[in-house]
Amino acid sequence: MRPINMRREGVAVTQAKDVARDPTLGRQFSIQADVVIVGSGAGGAVMAYELAKAGRKVLVLESGRYWPSAEFTENLGDTLTKVYRDQAAQANTTADALFLEGNCVGGSTVISACVMQRPGDEVFRKWSDELGLKGLGPRELDPYFEQVEGWLHVHTNEAHEVNATAHKVIQGCERMGYSWRPVSRNVKNCALTGHCLAGCPSDRKMSALVTHLPWAAAYGARIFSDTEVSRVLMRNGRATGVEAVIRDPDTGTVVSNVRVDAQVVVLAAGAIHTPLILQRSQAPDRGGNIGRNMAVQPFTQILATFKEDLYGFQGALVGVEVDEFLKSDGFTFYSALAEPEQLMATGEQEAGDEHINFMKSFKRMAGLNAFAIDKGEGQVIWEGDHLSGRKVIKWSPSREDFERITRATAIAARIFFSAGADRVWLPTFQKMHAKNVFELDEMLARVNYGINGIYSYRMNSFTPHGTCRMGLDPYDSVVSADGEVHGVSGLYVADASIFPTPVSSTPQWTVQVLSRYVADRILARAASHFLS
Amino acid sequence: MTWNHDIPPALSGGFEPLSRRSLLRLTAVSGLALTTGCARMFGRREAPEALTYLNMTEDEVRVVTKFTRAVLPTARHGLPDCIDEIPTIKNMDIMVGKMAPTQRELLALGLWVYEYRPMASFKFSRFSKLSDEKAHAYVVAMQEGAFFERGLTTSLKALVTLNYWRDSRTWQALDYWGPVTERWGVRRLGNAPLPMA
Repeated sequence: MRPINMRREGVAVTQAKDVARDPTLGRQFSIQADVVIVGSGAGGAVMAYELAKAGRKVLVLESGRYWPSAEFTENLGDTLTKVYRDQAAQANTTADALFLEGNCVGGSTVISACVMQRPGDEVFRKWSDELGLKGLGPRELDPYFEQVEGWLHVHTNEAHEVNATAHKVIQGCERMGYSWRPVSRNVKNCALTGHCLAGCPSDRKMSALVTHLPWAAAYGARIFSDTEVSRVLMRNGRATGVEAVIRDPDTGTVVSNVRVDAQVVVLAAGAIHTPLILQRSQAPDRGGNIGRNMAVQPFTQILATFKEDLYGFQGALVGVEVDEFLKSDGFTFYSALAEPEQLMATGEQEAGDEHINFMKSFKRMAGLNAFAIDKGEGQVIWEGDHLSGRKVIKWSPSREDFERITRATAIAARIFFSAGADRVWLPTFQKMHAKNVFELDEMLARVNYGINGIYSYRMNSFTPHGTCRMGLDPYDSVVSADGEVHGVSGLYVADASIFPTPVSSTPQWTVQVLSRYVADRILARAASHFLS
Repeated sequence: MTWNHDIPPALSGGFEPLSRRSLLRLTAVSGLALTTGCARMFGRREAPEALTYLNMTEDEVRVVTKFTRAVLPTARHGLPDCIDEIPTIKNMDIMVGKMAPTQRELLALGLWVYEYRPMASFKFSRFSKLSDEKAHAYVVAMQEGAFFERGLTTSLKALVTLNYWRDSRTWQALDYWGPVTERWGVRRLGNAPLPMA
């Protein structure tokens, strides 16, 4: 039995600067591994841990930079420009919806709001009974969920984790008779700083950075940051490795080109970038499904100002959820107010004196975030060749999405008015704020769908999924019930892109469960994948 | 894609589906149309690089400077100056330097439209030549304008205001206390223990 040594802090990561310093590697080199995993977020980190623990030689390639948690500044503005992909400006073609994701070792788990939700059993029954994915039934996945729950300290918020913003939401819900409950979060002894979106400098958020990645490294997994995979290499219907480029994260200059020879390739780059890699690799796609069926869970934030000072940015970022409307209307609300910089991505924040006055009311604000389920009609496309092309994200709200968000806005505003709000700020591109429900309804009537709903409500997405959906029929899905890409032996996907249908829950927990499930499938077929 | 029911098909035909290129084209054509009839047609000039801004042209810096003054009248509110004290435009310039090419193109086009759009409604003046009061009135009018004017104004405002309010010197005025982990002496927990086999 070999000894397992784990670092107390940080993860051993080979960065671009390390490669540049190593004269033996040069501008072009190759590495061999049993398994190469692309992406180090929720899916990739779990996969790395499970396979490394099983004795496989694992290499993780992450396109983003390595930020040890000790370097998180709790300054959201700085974090947005450094840690988020495309400086938090990854947008759809019409540039009216942002797709926010972490671009760092640990992926979006590093900048998440910590909300962990397990989808209802009906979702898994649909996947197993209707779609024939027998391994994804609620009973089959139960042990996986329980394992993640224990390891990541997933717990229901206690009283001290419900801040002033959340209390305003509770007050409003109680008066309106709406159901609410404390959310579950993956935090150990939360320090209640409220800076979740800027990364947790005290390692209390159970992100991949302090859990599965160091655990995987303890079992021998190697992690490269600053390494963008350009394509998967395939021969005779079998994945043989990947080609990647290592870039200096400060200048963007190429440090080295690397080829990884591996017996199994696992893509876990997230629902936007995994399909792009498959498209660049010209993976077989009989039904034209790669990159399609993207559900985005559009979210929008309704703000309210109160007479009294709340300091609603302090405390656990997300305290409670309003679950009254999930089944009937397809949306959930979460209480949350982050740093002042966050306000720039929500609603219309006025100009001139009005803008300054708006900002000065920050300490009297509370926020309620509506997350809606959508039909999964978005698409990501790689345009051009695999080295110099560009990503295109196509998504606009359908009329149904638009009406759902209108209703969610109306309800959230009523919750705040019931809690005594002076004014509610609507999440529109037009300047709109209401002092009472009469003004509110009159204003909402003025928001129209227009052309494809663009520049109507400010909707963003933290949680796209479904772009390489799992299914039995290769004409209707991208990966098999094992998570293997149809028609390519040894090429697996283990992230939110394999969700067979849109879900309304936050996806991190489910991604980690599905990744563990796919890891088990890979290990069960070890004899056909690995030489030794 | 869904069909738009609010607009007659004859009018919306050209907008469906509205891709990034279509939007760029639409914005450019609208900007051009609004400036047609002026003394001369304006083209985007490649200005020499400014000394202090590495990633935006001089023309762009002029537009952004006027925009910043219009949106952030900091002097009237006892806040640190949005240009001389807080490096709002320098912060933005650094962001611009890291933008993806398509985003950069979009920003350049947006700033160009912003500069020349007032030719139609503000006595043939460019945006950067307007007084701060008129520039503010113009920003407010754009915010209430057509969908692409709203989108453009919101995007520019987000860029400028983010790069102002991210500076810790502005937080005192908001009674926002910023980073606290170090100040509160919160201990780092390090990596979670390896799960038991």
